[in-house]
Amino acid sequence: MMRIEKVRPNLIKTIKDHIDAISVAAKQAVKPDRITIEYPRERRKYPDNFRGFIVFDKDKCISCFRCAHICPANAIVMEDYDNRYPSIDYAKCIFCHFCIDSCPTGAIKTSKVHDVAFKSLDEMCLHTTQITKIPEIVRKEEKYTVEYSVERGVWKLVKKRKLDNLEVEVPPPEVKVRKAACIDPESCLGCRLCKRVCPQDAIRLEECEVSPDLEITGTMCVLKIDVEKCTGCGLCVRQCPMQILVLEEVKE
Amino acid sequence: MFAEYIAYLFDLFTKNMVSIPLIQPIVDYLLQIPLINLIVALILWRPFFAVVIAPGLGVLILYLLYIVWFERKLTARVQWRVGPLEVARPIRGAIQALADGLRYFFQEAIVHNEAHRPYFIQLPILAFIPVLLPILFIPAGNVVGIKSPFAIQLIVSFIALIPVTVVAIGWASNSRFAYIGSVREAFMYFAYEVPFIIAVMSMIFLYGSGDPFIAVEKQTIPGAFLNPVAFIVFIIAMLMATSRLPFDIPEADQEIAFGPFVEYSGILFGLAMTLAYEKLYLMALLFTLLFLGGWSGPEFYLLGDLMPVIWLLLKTIVVISIIALVRSIYARYRLDQALRIGWTSILALSLVALVIGVIGAWLA
Amino acid sequence: MDEYILDVPVEPPKELRSLFIPVPPDYVEEAYRSDEFLILVGPQHPGSGHMRLIVKVKGDIIQEVIPDPGYVHRSMEKLAENRLYIQNIPLFERPAIMDAANFNLGYVRAIEEALDIEVPERAKYIRTILAELCRIGTHLYDAAILAVFIGHTTGFMWPFGIRELICEALVRITGARFTSSFIIPGGVRRDVDESTLRFVYDSTFAIERRLESFEKIFIKNPTVVARLQGVGVLTKDEAIKHGVVGPFLRASGVEYDVRKVEPYEMYDELTWDIPVSDDGDGYSRFLVRVNEISQSLSIIRQCIMRMEEGRVISDQICENGKEIRGNFFDALGNIVLPAGEYTTLTEAARGLLLYTVISDGESNVPYRVRIVTPGWLYLKGFMESLRGERLADLQAIYGSFGYFPPEADR
Repeated sequence: MMRIEKVRPNLIKTIKDHIDAISVAAKQAVKPDRITIEYPRERRKYPDNFRGFIVFDKDKCISCFRCAHICPANAIVMEDYDNRYPSIDYAKCIFCHFCIDSCPTGAIKTSKVHDVAFKSLDEMCLHTTQITKIPEIVRKEEKYTVEYSVERGVWKLVKKRKLDNLEVEVPPPEVKVRKAACIDPESCLGCRLCKRVCPQDAIRLEECEVSPDLEITGTMCVLKIDVEKCTGCGLCVRQCPMQILVLEEVKE
Repeated sequence: MFAEYIAYLFDLFTKNMVSIPLIQPIVDYLLQIPLINLIVALILWRPFFAVVIAPGLGVLILYLLYIVWFERKLTARVQWRVGPLEVARPIRGAIQALADGLRYFFQEAIVHNEAHRPYFIQLPILAFIPVLLPILFIPAGNVVGIKSPFAIQLIVSFIALIPVTVVAIGWASNSRFAYIGSVREAFMYFAYEVPFIIAVMSMIFLYGSGDPFIAVEKQTIPGAFLNPVAFIVFIIAMLMATSRLPFDIPEADQEIAFGPFVEYSGILFGLAMTLAYEKLYLMALLFTLLFLGGWSGPEFYLLGDLMPVIWLLLKTIVVISIIALVRSIYARYRLDQALRIGWTSILALSLVALVIGVIGAWLA
Repeated sequence: MDEYILDVPVEPPKELRSLFIPVPPDYVEEAYRSDEFLILVGPQHPGSGHMRLIVKVKGDIIQEVIPDPGYVHRSMEKLAENRLYIQNIPLFERPAIMDAANFNLGYVRAIEEALDIEVPERAKYIRTILAELCRIGTHLYDAAILAVFIGHTTGFMWPFGIRELICEALVRITGARFTSSFIIPGGVRRDVDESTLRFVYDSTFAIERRLESFEKIFIKNPTVVARLQGVGVLTKDEAIKHGVVGPFLRASGVEYDVRKVEPYEMYDELTWDIPVSDDGDGYSRFLVRVNEISQSLSIIRQCIMRMEEGRVISDQICENGKEIRGNFFDALGNIVLPAGEYTTLTEAARGLLLYTVISDGESNVPYRVRIVTPGWLYLKGFMESLRGERLADLQAIYGSFGYFPPEADR
């Protein structure tokens, strides 16, 4: 460890310290080391993994509900259009981007917009139609992009006259393709909850011995999963009360 | 009878007018017109000019506008910031103090239940009396309000009355923090008053009289070099008297939430805040008279009597602008440490200054 | 000095009877009867943070201080019982927001201990860099608050300016300025690239250079030294008896740092020192933290120099070693810890941080999470150090301890 010595004041040291303090302040008064960013006129440059406004791409979404499930603040509500798509409540969102990390297809992604401010609380629940592209920024006085640079121990602000692109393009995530499969068909209850919840209608009834119209001959019920239509969203896995559905990796 | 009275007044004014060769033709023309000549003569009458325009109330208001903006900008520059900028962006925010003052006019001045109502409301206004009276005595060349051979002593005694009003303000507020603040103000008054008076006395010894005209005449080299110890003592006493950092103790805002002025709001708060700045102006004027040569400087023919006034004001503004830097360098001392400084180190230095002053008087 | 007692009957003011304050009414009456008075340095005071201090003052000397914390209590421990294990990570990094990485580390290490996950080396280096950056940020914030409590406005603005460079470094690594939720069981969420590491390396030199002028104007300033030296002295025995932790314990002469006693992450493989002082007054508490900043800067430089290529996420969690994007929910969404109690100790910037996670073995939410923050641990020592000091020193001692109410209240 390092011991810190007790400071013993004496007159010469005190006067020297006074003069040092005054000279530092005088030097700053003459030539300041300012690093101020004048916000609406200059915009700060952010990296690509910046946690900004969340943008949604409808074509890639498979309605797997993973983003809504993982959100720690319960800010994502799935709204009903032709399929179910996420809508974000910015009164609750904490910009942790767990939803972006959970999406298997990369349908929900980040952007570099950080001025997420609204005029009233009702406007803060954004519907899906409002988050498909980044909000347009109308600011006539915004001319510069600034960035901090540290070279050889000197920290200063570098101004450039062009504006940054606020959209972020990232390659889609590397996820192994998985499809649903039933691992224990004998325990199947025939409740048909998986058939009802599948957004792609990939589960169909193949054979059923229990029906209210005909005579009951047994208890067996066979439900088949169509692997062509299955997107691996996992909703049936989460829904099955017997927990006999899993997502299995597709073997090539 | 009325006309005689006016003629008497007109005579009184024209005998003692400020002479500025630049605008003399206009003044001569205006003096012919019957009623306006009285008003113009009044404005250019030396005592009136000194008290109301310069170096009196008119310059005081301009100075307040300037110092609030300048101090904030200078402190911001040292602290890696920009300071007030948005109010009038093309001139870099220079009328920020005006915007603040206007805001105080529109704010409600709340008088709380426990306060002693007449004193609470009237004291910030009454506190201006000892601050504005010394302006009568400060000369700038020939422009002076009341010419007196004891002007410097009178100014010092008026300055000694100001802390009494601050203590009274804290007492009238009837609140716990205001009480602690006014007790601290009383303690600080004890700390700086004696060294301050001794420093001024040493300069009076050096010059031989308390008349500012004689003081400025005798400064062939500025008083700062004649008696540097008194120079340092005066600066430190100035910091203590106007509650500037590092001796911000009665108005410590982190510990006792603004001290005696804690319960004020609205226009009363605006008046209370300017009190410290006006005291600084006054003490800086005295400082310039005693140590920097007052109004002496190269004469410019066209401006005549106005030139010494301009020199005096320029030197004062330079002094105040440099003192404003101290705010960003130091932290705040504790009360007992400030008292110890006032009664040991500064008192000793001021006695040394007194000795130098006496030796200087004996040599001359 | 003789004391003269004036027997003037004084009634306590009305407000002390009508407000709810946690002292019994006869304490209040007794204080007023015996020539002392009570000052409430309350939650709405320019120099108190979000807590109330009830100060019993006799003349100018403080007799006793009773704290009234709890104004920022957000019941984090109860909230954690209803959220998935992974959803508690943003919850538990928010007590002390500048120190988010250390708070994250404590919780995530408890989960890793339960599930027996092995963290790859590159992830450990990145976690150490984040923890040290947050430690520097917190020490700068505390120095700024100390400066504003003793009236030094330049000393308040400059550390916040230097912190801006640290926040820029954190943005380039993680994407968020401080509460980044970047540390997850098994590693970190994304990898860092070369140019970002170069920026962090260069910025350590820039921070040191700016700290030199800060040292001249604030740390060695004679008014600051006069204000802080010899106030609020805690001797070594008193500090140990009252349970003080962290740099405040090290300023009283005890050589204890969790990173040396029970090392975690990469601390046992790097060379660094812990600063210790023997005086125990306010100035040495401040100097210990200033020296810790330079130690942290050297740790960051060593980490960057030694870091090698590799995975950042453990292969027990996910196959893709570079980032968790796309697999976050499937890998960590529904983890269930085996039944039992798992405890970790971490050295947060202000002291020792204790996390205990209790699981019942079946549910994907924790049964109980207990977190003891350093602010709560040294509150008693802080109150004891105020006895016998002047009233004006209350703020100076508060600043030298760096008490942060949201961290103590959770």
